[in-house]
Amino acid sequence: MKTIRAAGLALAGALALASPSAAAREVLPWVDDYSKAVAEARAKNLPVFVEAWAPW
Amino acid sequence: MRANVFTDKALGRYAGQFVWLSLDVEKAENAPYKKKYAADALPMFFVLDPKTEKAALRWVGGATVPQLQKILADGAAAVKGTRGKVETALARADRFYGEGAYDRAAAAYREAIAQAPPTSPRYGRSVESLLYSLYETRDYAGCAKTAADAFPRLAKTPSAANVAASGLSCALELPKEDASRAGLVESLVKDSRSVLAAPRRDIAPDDISSVYETLASEREEAKDEAGRKTILQDRARFLEAAAARAKTPDARAVYDSHRLGTYLDLGEPERAIPMLQASERDLPGDYNPSARLAVAYRAMKKYDDAIAASDRALAKAYGPRKLGILQTRSDIYKEMGNLPEARKAMQQAVELAESLPEGQRSEKSIASLKKKLDTLSQ
Repeated sequence: MKTIRAAGLALAGALALASPSAAAREVLPWVDDYSKAVAEARAKNLPVFVEAWAPW
Repeated sequence: MRANVFTDKALGRYAGQFVWLSLDVEKAENAPYKKKYAADALPMFFVLDPKTEKAALRWVGGATVPQLQKILADGAAAVKGTRGKVETALARADRFYGEGAYDRAAAAYREAIAQAPPTSPRYGRSVESLLYSLYETRDYAGCAKTAADAFPRLAKTPSAANVAASGLSCALELPKEDASRAGLVESLVKDSRSVLAAPRRDIAPDDISSVYETLASEREEAKDEAGRKTILQDRARFLEAAAARAKTPDARAVYDSHRLGTYLDLGEPERAIPMLQASERDLPGDYNPSARLAVAYRAMKKYDDAIAASDRALAKAYGPRKLGILQTRSDIYKEMGNLPEARKAMQQAVELAESLPEGQRSEKSIASLKKKLDTLSQ
């Protein structure tokens, strides 16, 4: 099984990008601290969108 | 995603509707969350309910902007609990999927799909998640049949590529003696080829690339070397064209991994060198170009260049990814006939693997590395 979506992604590293670019930060206000994100979401009554990624 | 999707201004209107968390799961401090959310396949996206910290929705793999917009809408609705019968059934399936409970997720997705009309905007996402769940539970027959049955309804949607390729991958996993195998392979090859014949702009390039890869695997299994090479050359052209359209070095380097894999499969590793040198120059903080150069130079038997690239990669790398770099380094030294250095690199890999925190530590990986070290010591 080489190419079912995630299996292929996990094995090949696929198309995930190495590091967050400045451009990627402009459109959406990303944070990188889990605890702070959850605390902020509770305070604002918002869901958390999580991108789990790796630099490969 | 980071270079081509999250930069899209169409997503700007969602900025204040979520808290946006970027989790690099290679970092030790994020290891507990990698384990908690079973984030083993990357990239992976979740919408979390902050009150319970449970994943209300999960998506594995790349997505186009329209797909992501649907995910955001479904995720927000799942957290709020404002949904109808179909959405409730889907949210239940998503919850199991988010927990990595793939057997329960598969059953729940089947229930959700049974209630959803094929015209539902959630049908494609449900089928894709069901296929992944079936693969994870090794129900290859169910996976291939589901894909073959669903493809006609999804042929003109962004899910077409992934459904065809995932189904074909599952069909190829079936035992040769399985009576349904040949028919499923034939049908899903036809579906996969139809995706490539008229590629849609709303399909993620990585999904298209995976269709080429799966078709090449099918030809390899059929012992059709000429057919396999033709598909790989087509894949190389597709990826090169996508890279040529990229507007930034980040966006161009997105394709490096699949391009390197394609060139290696073609037996033409030298084709990867200019692109990787450009990425190494343009993205100096990223260890990937250097690590990939080590792989390409090794395939070219340019061992001194491979070790130099490996040095540069190790200087920038962190987390579990270093294991792969160290294994490649060991392999390079072994091929050079330098067994002491090969053992040293593998020993470093074992020590690193044993030092990783829970969530990143893998007993299977440690056992595999130790076995390789033992082989080098004999």
